[in-house]
Amino acid sequence: MGLSVRERGETVATLRWIHVRLMETIASWIPTTPEMEIKLAFGTHVWDLAQHADALGKRTYELRMPLQHSLPPSDAYQAYLAGIAAITDSAERVAAFYDAVLPALARRYADYLSRTDQLLDAPTVRIFKHIAAEQARMIGEGDDLRRELANLPAAPRALADGLKQQEQAIADFVVHRDEKTEAGAA
Amino acid sequence: MAVDPAKTKVVRGVTLRADPAREDCFVVSQHETEMVSERDYNSPAAVRSIMHREYNNEVQNTEIAAQMLVDFPDAPWELRMELARQCWDETRHARMFLRRVIELGGRKGESPIKNGDWAIIGMIENLPGRLLVQHRLFEGGVMDSFKQVARGFREHGDSRTAEVYETILADEIQHVRFANQWLRRFSKEPRAVMQMAAALNYAHGVLRALSPKDGDRSLDDVDLAAEDHSIEINTEDRMHAGFTQAEIADLVRRDRHGLPAKRTGATA
Repeated sequence: MGLSVRERGETVATLRWIHVRLMETIASWIPTTPEMEIKLAFGTHVWDLAQHADALGKRTYELRMPLQHSLPPSDAYQAYLAGIAAITDSAERVAAFYDAVLPALARRYADYLSRTDQLLDAPTVRIFKHIAAEQARMIGEGDDLRRELANLPAAPRALADGLKQQEQAIADFVVHRDEKTEAGAA
Repeated sequence: MAVDPAKTKVVRGVTLRADPAREDCFVVSQHETEMVSERDYNSPAAVRSIMHREYNNEVQNTEIAAQMLVDFPDAPWELRMELARQCWDETRHARMFLRRVIELGGRKGESPIKNGDWAIIGMIENLPGRLLVQHRLFEGGVMDSFKQVARGFREHGDSRTAEVYETILADEIQHVRFANQWLRRFSKEPRAVMQMAAALNYAHGVLRALSPKDGDRSLDDVDLAAEDHSIEINTEDRMHAGFTQAEIADLVRRDRHGLPAKRTGATA
């Protein structure tokens, strides 16, 4: 059995929250990262993440939620993102974003696509596939960036590996709300 | 939101936002007297220096738009989308100018840079004030100067550089236009109007305090106080960007009286 309308909406709204947070994170890194090429890559990808958040936010409206609705992910996922936002070293920022965060999101999208009904949830499927393709491009641009910056010291492999493990340990990043509680809160 | 004193600097008695991070290859200047100022379109060294200055200006614009996304998370989503798009635009502009520096035989870090716009905007603590000063005042001024500079390069046979300026000018129209649209909305809120007035007053005060004084000379010995910075108002593009006829007439009138109605990107 596929996902309910409510489960789809919660997942989409949670992913919107995550994309907005990631947009803010790499935006905050732009003035504080010395290397111009990295600033420019982050500046480019701020716009990509904003567009992804926007597409997700339009879909929430179609899933019986407000337009551009966001739901915070689980505490563990928020802690994972907060840890990434606190990174200060340029090479580590690049590694965290392009080697850990974006590939982890790709896995989340693939997992969702394997569980949802492709016909009943076709608009979400289209959006997720589009975002996944875009983020694959962004990962490639992260590789280009490191080729351009041959002098950038490599971030410790353990950093990306540790972040991947931390993310994979979070079974479900979506907090499923009680329908009555949600209605009361609204 | 108050600016953390640890994130400020003082230049000629004026408190400004401390510089954003830069690589060691750059010499970061604090005042026009520490910059190269020659504007000769026929001098390859001067042209490279102009391109290099513009390169850093565009990086600054990326940083300013990005910092607005960070500092104002509760801004309307449609406005945040405009700022995010601007981040991308400014990165492309920076790449265009650096590419031109390299085509002309230069390199990143070859001449001093100055983060003047960042230093002012970073001291303005509210969104309406930043939109007014950065987008309407500074980028509005860039629309005027880029049109004139593009024409100058074209007249001197450098159509490749002119094309870069013309391309960027088209993008800047949209940046000024979205700001004007939001400023008109904000202008219905008295608190926002006060914030805009305070920001404008602050920016004009800083520009006045940092403007070249008699005897100020650039690194390449240009008499800065004697330089002519007059730039024709770019009426057509200002209209595209949402300025009304009356607002443009005000700018022209202020220009005639020598008031600091605008600044050029080339002096940022």
